[in-house]
Amino acid sequence: MAEKPAHNWRNTLKRRLLVSVLLLGGWAVSIEARLAYLQVVRHSHYTERAENQQVRTIETAAERGDILDRNGNVLAYSVEVDSIYVVPTEVGDPDAAAAALCRALKDCEARDRSTLAERIRRGRSFAYVRRQVSTEQAERVAALKLEGVGFVKENRRFYPNKELGAHLLGYVGIDNAGLSGLEATYDSLIRGHSGTMLVQTDARRLVFSRLERPPTSGATLELTMDQTLQHIAERELRVGVEENRATGGTAVVMDPLTGEILALANWPSFNPNTYREARPETKRNRGVQDLYEPGSTFKIVTASAAFEEHVVAPDDLIDVSAGRIKIGKTRVINDDHRYGVISFTDVIVKSSNVGAIKAGFKLGPLKLGEYVSKFGFGRRTSPDFPGESSGIVWDPAKLTDSALASLSMGYQVAVTPLQMAVAVSSIANGGSLPEPRIVRAVIQDDKRTPVPHKVVRNTVTANTAAVLTEIMEQVVERGTGTRAKIPGFTVAGKTGTAQKVVSGRYSRSDYNASFVGFVPSRKPQFAIVVVVDSPHGKNGYYGGTVAAPIFQRIADAALRLRGVTPSVNPQPPIIVDPRDGGNRPLQVRGPAELPGRNESSPQAPVKGVPDLRGLSARGAMQAIARIGMKARIRGAGVVVDQQPAPGSTIEPGTTATLTLERRITANTESSSSGGTQQ
Amino acid sequence: MFERRLYHHIDFGLLAAILALCAIGLSQIYSATGGWTAIVETQIVGILLGTVALVVCLSIDYRTLADKSHWIYGAVVVLLIYVLLFGAVRGGSRRWIDLGAFNLQPSEFAKATLALVLAKFLGDSRRGVVSNVDLVIAGAVTAIPLFIIAKQPDLGTAATLIPVAFAVAFVAGMPMRLLGILAVVAVLAAPIAWRFALQDYQKERISTFLDPAQDARGAGYQQIQARITVGSGGPWGKGFTEGTQGQLRFLPVAHNDFIFSVLAEEQGFAGVIVALGLYFFIIMRAIQAAQLAKDRLGAYLVLGVLASFTFQVIYNITMSAGLAPVKGLTLPLMSYGGSSMIATLAGFGLILNVRMRRFTN
Repeated sequence: MAEKPAHNWRNTLKRRLLVSVLLLGGWAVSIEARLAYLQVVRHSHYTERAENQQVRTIETAAERGDILDRNGNVLAYSVEVDSIYVVPTEVGDPDAAAAALCRALKDCEARDRSTLAERIRRGRSFAYVRRQVSTEQAERVAALKLEGVGFVKENRRFYPNKELGAHLLGYVGIDNAGLSGLEATYDSLIRGHSGTMLVQTDARRLVFSRLERPPTSGATLELTMDQTLQHIAERELRVGVEENRATGGTAVVMDPLTGEILALANWPSFNPNTYREARPETKRNRGVQDLYEPGSTFKIVTASAAFEEHVVAPDDLIDVSAGRIKIGKTRVINDDHRYGVISFTDVIVKSSNVGAIKAGFKLGPLKLGEYVSKFGFGRRTSPDFPGESSGIVWDPAKLTDSALASLSMGYQVAVTPLQMAVAVSSIANGGSLPEPRIVRAVIQDDKRTPVPHKVVRNTVTANTAAVLTEIMEQVVERGTGTRAKIPGFTVAGKTGTAQKVVSGRYSRSDYNASFVGFVPSRKPQFAIVVVVDSPHGKNGYYGGTVAAPIFQRIADAALRLRGVTPSVNPQPPIIVDPRDGGNRPLQVRGPAELPGRNESSPQAPVKGVPDLRGLSARGAMQAIARIGMKARIRGAGVVVDQQPAPGSTIEPGTTATLTLERRITANTESSSSGGTQQ
Repeated sequence: MFERRLYHHIDFGLLAAILALCAIGLSQIYSATGGWTAIVETQIVGILLGTVALVVCLSIDYRTLADKSHWIYGAVVVLLIYVLLFGAVRGGSRRWIDLGAFNLQPSEFAKATLALVLAKFLGDSRRGVVSNVDLVIAGAVTAIPLFIIAKQPDLGTAATLIPVAFAVAFVAGMPMRLLGILAVVAVLAAPIAWRFALQDYQKERISTFLDPAQDARGAGYQQIQARITVGSGGPWGKGFTEGTQGQLRFLPVAHNDFIFSVLAEEQGFAGVIVALGLYFFIIMRAIQAAQLAKDRLGAYLVLGVLASFTFQVIYNITMSAGLAPVKGLTLPLMSYGGSSMIATLAGFGLILNVRMRRFTN
């Protein structure tokens, strides 16, 4: 009895174990097959999938190149700042997270908080909390140690001089793309090439390791603009616009020989650091975008054409005694005064419309039109300004008598201030039309590639240019532009006062007051155009009363800045010490031999304390250092007062106190230029 | 009690294979957790304590143990109830008794204990053919710890008790007809269970198993990641500590449930073949031990212990290859887990015990 079941159970065990072993073997074979399939056959497929989820390629923005002025001063640069993002799926409570982030950011309102919470709730793998935050904000957020909150470095653009040259420089959007100005025009150059960052991430998207291909930094732009001159131009333009209660204005300073733009000021202006808060009209680069009818300044073109085509000579007498001229049947054009019979020179000097129209009629529409186009009107002048207006020039073949008359005196033609500056430059340099440029050189990897100067075409012969220069000198000497006189220098210029078209009609109250010119007239260094939009101040609306003084102040400062030797009563060469670079305005002014230069110290002793008024803080410091004294600066801007007074004895080692102010006060203005006007 | 000649009958081949898998597991835990961590240390302690447990279970004659099996069974059930009431809560379930340095998981010890009890009950040499009453009693003996463990809840460990009971009953001569009936009942019960018994998350696991891509970010995620991990390993693997999937946490609990996937990633198909071969060798040696056993008790004890081991191996490897729904079942000998290691090694102590004493009276 005990034996039999014993026999039985072993048989059962054996049989059933065999079944189990077979099943086990079957499983073993199939799982081996499965693993072989996954690991050998599908290996590459799964490797790729593993890499796809482990390795992400992230673009890293290249550092944007700097923008420098012609002397290497930094006008725009980029810094790395933090942007805060959040991985929404890792955030437990969006509202709590948003509230905590808001507290850390501080400048965050209830509305921002709810939109942030909403963004976190909706997003899956990535949402920005705030881009380009300050270091303090980033630190406070980091201190929260919130789950799912991270930081990325982004480049932020800074403009250390704020408004200075804002319209030229433009600004950069949050994604490191240039949106306006040079930042947009040269975006591809400045931006550089973004690098790639291979980031190995774990399942929670935490960065594990990184392999980088570093980004290539963008090129640095060196501008033709001179920071100091730009500052002066902007300051004087602003003072002029505000003084004349005008809506805006433009000043262009150009090197007439090369076409380099040394300064281009617009008012109103904006701060590109906070460009989003600026009103749109303040962001317009009036100098190249705004069209205006040039009015009498355009008579330079009419006169050029007339001389080139020999239809009029400077000494030809023109009868403008009527003071009016009838065009066709109905239109009558008046002069401001009755001049009688005057030479053609005087037609320009006194800006007689009647005389200009008579010259225009002698030329005929085709000839005049040819010169209008030769001077570059109706076409864009420069590749540096993609938003530049080409202007409006009528087809000469379709000009009626009335239109021809208008054109002769600068109406029915629309130009930009920059076009005007180019045209007047070609008179200044003896007849070649330069291409205006704002970029002087591109610096990439320490290699500086200068931008070549270009001459577009020849406009007039050197002789015609010389004759016109002489006439323009007389405009300033005894004509409509006397307020542009600069002591010690000969100035060539032309005034313009043009009625503005307001809602389809020529306005009786709104004018464009403009002045074009160049200094020193016989050896020109600066061609300057000043346009003031709708002046309504005590100086009236004339180019000669509104724009000429602004021109005068810019030109005067520019000459001093460059240390240009006075062309009238030139000083012995001893004054300018070439080893010093020859551009110290101080040394030009030091001997104070220039008539009416400084009424307070007309004969300042050579060895005395120099007159520092009108100088920048830096210039004044250098001047003070040169005579072995120290200086204490009070305020900011330009020197308006100094202690000890100009001309007093130098006591080396003592400290001078300089008072600076932002704007030129009426006092200093009269002390620097008033004397010649009376 | 431990005679010198018994020493010569210890299956050193089986022992070597067991320790080799422990070593492989340890090295993969080291790799998956990123170096020398507390987890690695715990595992070493587990292996050492397990070896002690193995020696203890080896030394005492299994017949002596079987005679005391009802006491051991009672003690384990009490411990399980204690855990259910006062155990440490982790991850939403009570499974552990906090012993300070060590967390004891009594459910792990329920497997070998159940094997012992059932072997004793069905393997009694005086008993004839297994009756239906015997099977019902065996079922009840199994059901008590099973339900307590399922209540913790720890369905994975609870499920491993079923193979124990099934294997012992099967080799003890459970009628094949009954087997067929059970299969039919299971098929019929499945839709009803789907409808009423299963929790939503359980249904989700099954449905995502059938089509992982339907929820690649959610429940199907682990299964997809398991396949990617294994597949990206290739024939020769990425190299020791070079496995990115496990270390970058794409594969959750890599050192635990998915240790085999980590092995497959780092050592490739070649490494997998070695590990599978070792497991296969261990199982075959244990089956051999069952056939060599001197009595029914010994044979059934070996197969009962082996059943839960084999079940876990098969399930875990199938899951690691992305072929089974993800379930918290560890791979014995390799996965991280102190209690599991100790219980598994103690179980092998019993298997070695039976084989060693095949000639004794």
